[in-house]
Amino acid sequence: MALDQAITLPAGIHVFERGWLSSNNILLIDDDSAALVDSGYLTHAEQTLALVQHGLNGRSLTTLINTHLHSDHCGGNALLQRTYDCRTLIPVADAPAVAVWDEQVLTYKATGQQCERFRYDGCIAPGDQLKLAGLQWQVMAAPGHDPHSMILYCASEAILISADALWEHGFGVIFPELIGESGFAEQAAVLQLIAELDVRLVIPGHGAPFTNVAAALDRARSRLDYLSADSSRNARNALKVLIAFLLLDSQQFSLQEVTEHIRSSRLMTAAAAQLATPIDLLIRQLAGELVSAGAARMDGERLISTR
Amino acid sequence: MSILYDYEPDNPLANPSAEVPSPCIGICKMDAGSQWCSGCFRSIDELTAWSTASNDSKRAVWRQIKQRMFVTT
Repeated sequence: MALDQAITLPAGIHVFERGWLSSNNILLIDDDSAALVDSGYLTHAEQTLALVQHGLNGRSLTTLINTHLHSDHCGGNALLQRTYDCRTLIPVADAPAVAVWDEQVLTYKATGQQCERFRYDGCIAPGDQLKLAGLQWQVMAAPGHDPHSMILYCASEAILISADALWEHGFGVIFPELIGESGFAEQAAVLQLIAELDVRLVIPGHGAPFTNVAAALDRARSRLDYLSADSSRNARNALKVLIAFLLLDSQQFSLQEVTEHIRSSRLMTAAAAQLATPIDLLIRQLAGELVSAGAARMDGERLISTR
Repeated sequence: MSILYDYEPDNPLANPSAEVPSPCIGICKMDAGSQWCSGCFRSIDELTAWSTASNDSKRAVWRQIKQRMFVTT
């Protein structure tokens, strides 16, 4: 990728590149509507609103769309709904859980993450067509990272809003495999689907928009091969990602608190159970890996975020 | 220790076409006084423009950050 070349987006599309605790937010504006795709993490909701207000330049948000309902993609929904009369569209398979706000099914309790309750007004399903920023977008299923996730494809501009199905360097944790369900095969199929589309620009759920799609797909396939060859690799990666997320959320905690987080989170417990390592040793290993990766430092028995 | 200290926008040894990293450290809260993010010291204008900014403009923002980090508000 020619990195000194800035990315250009069609008029009406604005990408707010966030970090890892919050997903990116994509604002799509035309004469009829102003829609936001994904709203970031709960603790960042006020900044999300400030970014959206800046992008809207006095207009109102009419539509809020979630690619999937992980806490880093919909944590700003409640505040946006309080601020704007925005019609909120969620993946169709998540509607029953959102209607009754089942925090176990919605993974917030299962991951130890926070999300404020929000309502939905409609659904998106594979094959749906949306008009956003004056362009036609097709909704496609993207299971793998999350069984219900959707991605949005604009054929006329060859742009893909890829959520956590494809990043420039990888993809989101394959959560279904942690609880004995299939996810690797679905992720492989999603990568194949993307490879068969004409895509010049990917707007991912995390990280910068990118144009070298073939290279990103190659990296993603290699990573998927590595993870699926031994599912304990996926479990270990998932635990590390979830601990890193909690660390970004709370900035620091003791190793004992990490143990408590794992015990109180269904998905983290399931991941730890796939690894034939005693929990205390496992936490020390993972903490060491986070330190080596530059994400944390140790101060005695405390793990501290270095971001 | 933190990318805000570690990254040097004018490092003479760096490849000028290498990707300029995001200064986001995940705090993501605007400071009511300075109007900068209290994590990465960027303004709302700079935050919204980042995803499509050229490397030169990203480095210009980084130079601002390196100043603002030491401003007491």
